[in-house]
Amino acid sequence: MNKKSIVLLLLVSFFWAIAGHAGAADPDPQSLVQESFNYMRGKASISITDMTIHRADWERVSTIKAWTLGEKNSLFLITAPPKDSGNGTLKKGKEMWIYNPKINRAIKLPPSMMSQAWQGSDFSNNDLAKSDTLINDFRHSIEGTSSHDGKKVYHIKSIPKPEAPVVWGMLKLKIREDLILLSEEFYDEDLILVKALTTHEIRMTDGRLFPVKWKMQKAEATDEYTLLEYRSIEFKETLSKNLFSLSNLKNVGR
Amino acid sequence: MYFQLAWRNIWRNPRRTIVILTAVIIGVWSMIFLGALMRGMEVEMIRNSLKTLTGNIQIHEKNYRDDPVVENSMTDPALLKKALKTSLPEGANWAMRIRVSAMASNARHSSGVTLVGIDPAKEARVSFIGKAVTSGRYLKTEDTNKIIVGQALLDKFDAKIGHKIVLMTQDMGKEIASKAFRIVGVFRAEMEATEKEFVFATLSQAQKMLKLKNSISEVSIALKEQNLDGREEKTVSENLSSILPDTVYKVETWQELLPMMREYLKLFDNFIYIWHFVVFIAMGFGIVNTTLMAIFERMREFGLLKALGMKPLWIVRGVITESLFLLILGIVAGNITGIISVMLIDRIGIDLSALAAGVEMWGMPRILYPELWTVDVVVANLVVLLLGLLVSIYPAVKAARFTPVEALVKI
Repeated sequence: MNKKSIVLLLLVSFFWAIAGHAGAADPDPQSLVQESFNYMRGKASISITDMTIHRADWERVSTIKAWTLGEKNSLFLITAPPKDSGNGTLKKGKEMWIYNPKINRAIKLPPSMMSQAWQGSDFSNNDLAKSDTLINDFRHSIEGTSSHDGKKVYHIKSIPKPEAPVVWGMLKLKIREDLILLSEEFYDEDLILVKALTTHEIRMTDGRLFPVKWKMQKAEATDEYTLLEYRSIEFKETLSKNLFSLSNLKNVGR
Repeated sequence: MYFQLAWRNIWRNPRRTIVILTAVIIGVWSMIFLGALMRGMEVEMIRNSLKTLTGNIQIHEKNYRDDPVVENSMTDPALLKKALKTSLPEGANWAMRIRVSAMASNARHSSGVTLVGIDPAKEARVSFIGKAVTSGRYLKTEDTNKIIVGQALLDKFDAKIGHKIVLMTQDMGKEIASKAFRIVGVFRAEMEATEKEFVFATLSQAQKMLKLKNSISEVSIALKEQNLDGREEKTVSENLSSILPDTVYKVETWQELLPMMREYLKLFDNFIYIWHFVVFIAMGFGIVNTTLMAIFERMREFGLLKALGMKPLWIVRGVITESLFLLILGIVAGNITGIISVMLIDRIGIDLSALAAGVEMWGMPRILYPELWTVDVVVANLVVLLLGLLVSIYPAVKAARFTPVEALVKI
């Protein structure tokens, strides 16, 4: 290889880099959110998480095993502490069932319970059931960038579509260029912060970068939060559909 | 001559007569006045609950009242319209509604409510909502995602006009239906519970949200005459039930729809009679006491009359005539003061808002206006007059039993 060709190669790669950079400068916000959503969720996953519910005067830790498949199906099972172990939640589409081993019953959550807290945490049943609302019910726009660990972070403002049945006035998302969600802030209609989800400790887990700590915090009460800490997460290509059935909800809980 | 004698006798001791008159007057006054207050409360309670979406008569699918879910809706409003057209008396108004329980939420709050889908123009003639919107505006037929909420709910939700409220409920397919509404108007109701419970949207939007096509949950009928006896309701509802097949429809009058209210009214009736009785016992003792005193004072007189050959029965008659005069005087004066005080109070009403929480529980109005019923006045007067005469038999008989010898000895 002679000198000339090396210079040429350098030049070409330089232009490539510029062109590539320019292309990445403003990605389509809709697809960015969608891709980030897909990345964080994976096609299918099995995870074990410690959920800490912190309040001013008490704290509770429970361990949750979760299976997810696509956007629609998920199954959560509490494995510890023994008192709550066996309590399960099955989500299929917009519908949810909860299973309580003590009464050996699976109950379909009525609309009236959808906005209540899930297992006493700062997540509501709706946060779980309507997780894909972010993609379908909002219009996203990029309003700024910053950097995080040397990577570019997109600040996205999400305004609900006029007819969309969402209670929020606005969401603000921070998505890193490698599709990792850094934070999601929920604002009311007066654009006052209600609660915020933040992610921390991005690590290599099962072959991809993934934040292992997720924290949901209400804006008014600084000493109240729910912290999710992933002990393990496995991303899969697919999982059996039978896993996400009412009978399995009972089986895993027993 | 009896009357003249009796009249003069009662004024022989004016002070005593005035004392007993005062007792009778206060008794009669309190019967009339308190009776009117209770009737006022009663009438207001009924009017309130009739206006709060009950109406005089309602038609439902026959299982709806046991299980008010969307599946128990009436699918053929055309038939209903025809039946209503032929069998309603003049001046009656009706409105069709959807009524379903739902969950309302915004970013910070959520609460169970009843979503009422209404036809704005028709509803205004049937229930309170047409006149109850205090800020913002009332619904229009062409509104798509507009909603009217109560002041109390608005405060609870920290919301303002123009804000969004998301309603969630179950639709015909048992799926969760949710829809975002914007608040356009705020209504006030007599009771806070009403303000918290009901939210109003247009009928067509509610039907769309619940996937109900053109089905409706209820028809509410407001009759022109607002008598509380329920006779007109009965005839109209019988007419309607004879037209509408009872395999599907159920026609009910407010007496059937609000059994609690009906029983409550009965309780009120009895309470009024108990009150009459209590007042009368107090008054009766006064009458007996005073008359007895008068008689013992006049023992010599009665002895003399007896000695002169007066029949005992005539003495009884004389004494009873005296109490009759007393009672009539007292009743007339009592009626006058009672009616005047009712009329005075009627202008301003009695403000119960200081007791709001307690009053609310019973669905009573915030401002109480007394209501005078002829039957109550007549009953009060008759009770006082007849029982008054009855108790004065005892002193009269006592007077008639005096012998001339006794009378001589006593003095």
